Amino acid sequence: MAKIKGAIVVNTERCKGCQLCIIACPKNVIALAQKKVNAHGYPYVEASLPDECIGCASCAIVCPDGCITVYKKKVE
Amino acid sequence: MKGNEAIAHAAIRCGADGYFGYPITPQSEVIETLAELKPWETTGMVVLQAESEVASINMIYGGAGAGKKVLTSSSSPGVALMQEGIAYMAGAELPGVFVNVQRGGPGLGTIQPSQSVYFQATRGGGNGDYYVITLAPNSVQEMADFVDLAFELAFKYRNPAMILSDGVIGQMMEKVVLPPFKPRRTEEEILKECPWATTGRTKDRKPNIITSLELTSEVMEQRNLHLQEKYQQIRDNEVRFETMNLNEEDDYMIVAFGSAARIAEKAMELAKEEGMKVGLFRPITLWPFPEKEIAAAAKGKKGVLVVEINAGQMVEDVRLSVNGAVPVAHFGRLGGIVPEPDEIVKALKEKF
Repeated sequence: MAKIKGAIVVNTERCKGCQLCIIACPKNVIALAQKKVNAHGYPYVEASLPDECIGCASCAIVCPDGCITVYKKKVE
Repeated sequence: MKGNEAIAHAAIRCGADGYFGYPITPQSEVIETLAELKPWETTGMVVLQAESEVASINMIYGGAGAGKKVLTSSSSPGVALMQEGIAYMAGAELPGVFVNVQRGGPGLGTIQPSQSVYFQATRGGGNGDYYVITLAPNSVQEMADFVDLAFELAFKYRNPAMILSDGVIGQMMEKVVLPPFKPRRTEEEILKECPWATTGRTKDRKPNIITSLELTSEVMEQRNLHLQEKYQQIRDNEVRFETMNLNEEDDYMIVAFGSAARIAEKAMELAKEEGMKVGLFRPITLWPFPEKEIAAAAKGKKGVLVVEINAGQMVEDVRLSVNGAVPVAHFGRLGGIVPEPDEIVKALKEKF
């Protein structure tokens, strides 16, 4: 069976660091970027363990600001 | 939409003539949304980013002096800078609306939500014996609704009005029904409704003068007494509050405003599941404060818990209202941390 790998892209300028996606992620892929903030001054999230992502899009669904784009790829 | 975006939409829809502001997190979306909506092309509303908060408040002073519906928005440190202008407006009896999306302090503090400005908002904030009508929304819907209400009250009493929101409500996404479109007032309507405004003198009347300065003590005292009389009128007529599940036979009452009231609502549900008898009282106007109503509601309770996102500010007003009849305790988190509902339930058990 082909495995599915995922990847997320975070719109860091729109992210306000509410951390709902961190709770939603079943694989604990997402974490707050350490000591980095966006133009508004908010800490934003990033994929800290990108290899673990399964592309389930839970983070994108829960994000109140629609900051997360999820890509899925079949791995043979 | 976000609470901040709701403010921008509501301002255009209620027929505001101008917005003058300076971006500051967590309310930058207000001016961002206005810039995106371009109301100067549709309603003719002016939107301007001033060089600082001090400049924007003085633009409001000027706009209000001409009888226009003008508003600004800022966050705690920015509103602190605006206090001089707000005191001038209260002294000169001018209407204007300020949106304060609070963040933590003191000083620059944090950009995360807090209710750190309660004292400043409800005690006037600047110099002199004056008050600012203060409305505390607890949802994105109320952010939208209170813009028109604040203008209405500001013009009715010729007094500055403040919408005291915080970073939670400003950044929160919720469904909202926007108010209907109202056209901006025409020059004739302004002349009719605001005979005090400096709209250009005609031959048949004396010039209108707008100032907060008066060097003759006797005249100044009369002006102060007139202001105090007006504030008493506001206290008599404009107290707004809301109660949730508050019954006479309850053992405890939680008092909270703004976003803290939303969290307290959940805490109240949790406490009820555990068999505690709790009700919630939410002041909507923080000045005028619902003193009599709180005193009446607190009667016979074992304890009143004031939940705030600060070190204890509204708790003083609640203590003054209750006047020693019932024990009053405070629970709050600081530094931009928002309290959790179960922490509130725990505090309720521990404090009484």
